[in-house]
Amino acid sequence: MYVLGVETSCDETSVSIVKDGKEVLSNVVLSQIDIHREYGGVVPEIASREHVKGITYVFDKALRDAKLNYEDISLIAVTKGPGLIGSLLIGVNAAKVISLNYNIPIVGVHHIAGHIYANYIDNGMEFPLLALVVSGGHTELILMNEHYDFNRLGETQDDAVGEAYDKVARVLGLPYPGGPVVDKMAKTGRDVYKFPRPMIDSGDFNFSFSGLKSHIINLHHNMQQRNETINIENFCASFQEAVTDVLVAKTIKAKEQYKVKQVIVAGGVAANSGLRKKMKSMINDIPVYFPNMDYCTDNAAMIASAGYFQYKKYNKADDLLLNGQSRMNLEDIKNGN
Amino acid sequence: MKKSLKQLVIDTATRYIYLSLVIDGVEKQFVYEEGINNHSVTIIPYIEKMLKKENLILMNLDEVIVGIGPGSYTGVRIGVTVAKMIAYLNKIKIYKVSSLALLASSSNEPCVLGLIDARRGNAFMGFYKNESDKLTQIERDLLANIEEYKSKIEFEFDTVSVGVPNINKILNSDLLEAVEDVHGLTPNYLRITEAERNLRNEIKN
Ligand SMILES: [Zn+2]
Repeated sequence: MYVLGVETSCDETSVSIVKDGKEVLSNVVLSQIDIHREYGGVVPEIASREHVKGITYVFDKALRDAKLNYEDISLIAVTKGPGLIGSLLIGVNAAKVISLNYNIPIVGVHHIAGHIYANYIDNGMEFPLLALVVSGGHTELILMNEHYDFNRLGETQDDAVGEAYDKVARVLGLPYPGGPVVDKMAKTGRDVYKFPRPMIDSGDFNFSFSGLKSHIINLHHNMQQRNETINIENFCASFQEAVTDVLVAKTIKAKEQYKVKQVIVAGGVAANSGLRKKMKSMINDIPVYFPNMDYCTDNAAMIASAGYFQYKKYNKADDLLLNGQSRMNLEDIKNGN
Repeated sequence: MKKSLKQLVIDTATRYIYLSLVIDGVEKQFVYEEGINNHSVTIIPYIEKMLKKENLILMNLDEVIVGIGPGSYTGVRIGVTVAKMIAYLNKIKIYKVSSLALLASSSNEPCVLGLIDARRGNAFMGFYKNESDKLTQIERDLLANIEEYKSKIEFEFDTVSVGVPNINKILNSDLLEAVEDVHGLTPNYLRITEAERNLRNEIKN
C-alpha cells in the first residue's frame, strides 16, 4: 500500500511516498531554516508564505522521485495538528484537492504520532514500548501497548527541551536553531557548573526546563557583570549534561515500571548526540532506537508511516471537511478521530 | 460534438468565499458565503458539490481562475493553494485576477472602489470602471490609509467590500493574467511581513 504523506505544520514543506509504513520511496523536504535563522526563530507569516510558494513543487518532486503516479496511491496522510495553523492549512487543503481529484481516502495525522513512527521506518516496533518525544514543542513520555495506542505518562510543565536549547543558545550569542550548535559546542566543553537536574527525583514522569534555563541565563548575566571570562563550551556542556541526565533518568524509571521491550526517542532533539550517547550507554537490557537523522526533523515520511497504521487500525478515513488544528491531544486519537 | 469550456473560479481573499463554475461562458453554479475563518473547511466540499450538480469531476475542468488578493488575510492562501493544486494535478491553464476586481465587478456604478480592510484605518484598494459588459482598471491595487486615499478622489464612486462577483464582467475583461509557471504562483500580498520590516529597520539603524 502506497501512502502519500504531507507535512506542513511548521517550517518544512514536505511530501513523501512510503510503502506499507516502512519503505520510503521518496521524501522531499523543502526547509525554510535559512530564512527563519535571520529572525532567531520561526516567523509564522513567513512560514505560511513559503509553504504556498513551494507546495506544488514538492508534490511533483515526490512523485517523480518515487517514479509513481497519483493513481498508484491508496491513502493520503496529512498532518492536521498540532502546529502553526496558517502552515497546517496549506498542507491540509493541498491534500484534500488530491483526495477529491483522484478519489483517494485521506486521514489527518497527529504530528507527534508521526515523530514516533519515524522510528518504525528503520527499526520496527515491539510492544509494549516507551517513546520519549523531545522537540521544540514537546517533551513527553508515551507508553504504547500496541500500534497506534498512545498513553502519556508525563510531559513538560513549562518549556519543551528544544525550546530551552533555543533560549540558552540565544543568551550565549549562538545562532538559531540552538539544538545543533549547543550540541556541537558541548562536545569540547566540560560540565563544570553542575547545574540543577530539575525534577529528577520528582517521582512522576513530568519534566520542567524553564527553571534550569533561567538559572543559566542569570549565571551568564552575573558573570558578564563581573567581567569574568565566559567559556561557552563549558556552558553548553553543563546545560546539555543536566538536560540529558533528567531525560535519561526518567526514561529508565518508566522503562522499569512498565517493563517495556524497547525504548524509542523521537522528535528533533533525538538528533542530539549527547542524548543518543547517554541513552545508549545507560540502557543495556533492551534496545534503544533513534530515528535515522533524516527522520528526526519534520518530514512527511513519518506522517505517511503513522497514517498507514492509523488507517489500518481504525479502518476509517476523514471526510473533506478535514481541517488543521493548532492544538491537539495525542490521546484523543484513540477512537480514530 | 463540440467540447465545452469548463472554468472554475476561486476567491478566498475576503471574509467571503467565492466559487463559480462557468461552462461555455455561462455561470452554472456559484457559492458566495460569509465564513469566519473556515474557508479551509468549506472550500473542497463546496467545489465537490458544485461539480456534482453538473455531473463533473475535477479532472473535467479546463481552466482555473483564482483571486490572488491583495491582502494578507490567511484566507487568500487557501484559495491560491487549492487553485495551484487543481491546475498542477490536471495540467490545465491557470489565470490570476485581483480579488479587488472580483469585488468591484459586483457593482454596476460607473466607478467602483474595491476595498479589503487591512486594519488600523488602512485597506487594500483598487479602482475599476464599468464599461458596457466589462470591467477595466483605472488605478492599480494598493495598500493605503482609507480616508487619505478617498479624500484625493475627485469623482463619484461606489465603495464595495462585499458583493457577489459578476463573473461575466471579469471573463470579458483584460484583467485575467495567464500564469506561465504554476509552481511559482503566490498571492499578491502587497506588503512584506512585519518581521521583515523590523529586520530591515534594524539593519538600517
Ligand atoms: Zn516536529
